Amino acid sequence: MKMHQNKIACKECGLILNKPKLDQEHQFNCPRCNACVYKFGQDYKTIILMAITSLILFFPSITLPLITLEFFGLERSTTLIQTVFVFFENGYIGVSVFITFIGIIIPFIMLILILFILIPLKNGASYMKVSGLLKTYEHLLVWQMAEVYLISIFVSIIKLNKMASLNIELGLYFFCAFLFFMFTTIIFFNPYDVWKKNEL
Amino acid sequence: MNYNTDKKLRLVVCTHCGSIFNSKEIICETCNSPLSQRKKYAFSKTLCFTLISIIFFIPANVLPMMHVSTLGIVDSSTIFDGILYFIDSKSYGIAAVIFIASIMIPIFKLVVLSYLLFVVYFKKVQFARTAIKYFRIIHFIGKWSMIDIFVVALMIVIVQFGHLTSITAGAAAPAFTIVVIMTIFATHSFDTRLLWDEEEI
Repeated sequence: MKMHQNKIACKECGLILNKPKLDQEHQFNCPRCNACVYKFGQDYKTIILMAITSLILFFPSITLPLITLEFFGLERSTTLIQTVFVFFENGYIGVSVFITFIGIIIPFIMLILILFILIPLKNGASYMKVSGLLKTYEHLLVWQMAEVYLISIFVSIIKLNKMASLNIELGLYFFCAFLFFMFTTIIFFNPYDVWKKNEL
Repeated sequence: MNYNTDKKLRLVVCTHCGSIFNSKEIICETCNSPLSQRKKYAFSKTLCFTLISIIFFIPANVLPMMHVSTLGIVDSSTIFDGILYFIDSKSYGIAAVIFIASIMIPIFKLVVLSYLLFVVYFKKVQFARTAIKYFRIIHFIGKWSMIDIFVVALMIVIVQFGHLTSITAGAAAPAFTIVVIMTIFATHSFDTRLLWDEEEI
């Protein structure tokens, strides 16, 4: 056998350790660089339910108006989906497409990926099949910035409040709820579990 | 203290699934990923991305970020003007958030990246523990410097009243986006295991 079954490696400093006895509650840290070597997430059922909840919340949060701005009697309400289209009319298309991707589209794709990884695994598919999807998920993890988007919505609300009168609409509450459930999903789901679940 | 590393034991770790193989293997048996002991060209990649973001950091702060036109009068403002605007209008919290996110964090990231490159290049293994702490900090706070770009983009979309008042993005917006993307690429392509590698094998 070419594989070393009884050893475990720290991915951040390359230290080779003897495999500790694993259990669900404890987290194992590297003795040299203190990186988290081993930590189990929640079971798949909880994660799938959380992911579905946030996917349901996603659609109202992008289609309902976020804020309504009043300026000299003119009223204008903005939805998240509008931001995607208006960007194309302005210059700097590259920046606009990038922002739309990291703010809205990547979080959505990540939730879909979680479902596509976990539902087959729960039904007993082999982990070889989901390996590619899992790799994509791990890459996207760095590029999802929905929480930064939320904070910048608040900043622009405060900034615009000085210019004109402004009302917060239902869409913003839905967006907050969507973000909350998306974060619980991401925190509960540990990609490493897919490989190590059978060793418990 | 003597540690057993993957290089010393001639092993290779799959960064995707964590399985360990002898260093001759090139494909992971468990998950089919290509194997390599260290990320390829990690040092030069990080160096290049850091240099690009240092170069673009200057236009990002000097050029205007946003043009606000009200009844035909155009008012341009840089990132720093935006902060001063919030201080003038007594919203110090937001001023602090913007200052930290768009000026402090990029500078801090560039300093830390240079420090990491210094530690790796001169093989100062005694600094590795401190260096990895800073690496984790910049890995965590990296995305928050996008906040200013998001604010400008949102303002453009929300304030669209034709000739009455409208906002357009300035030349600093793409420059600043490049700075943020390049620092994220730099942290992503850096291999922290290089900090501990003492001797060439």
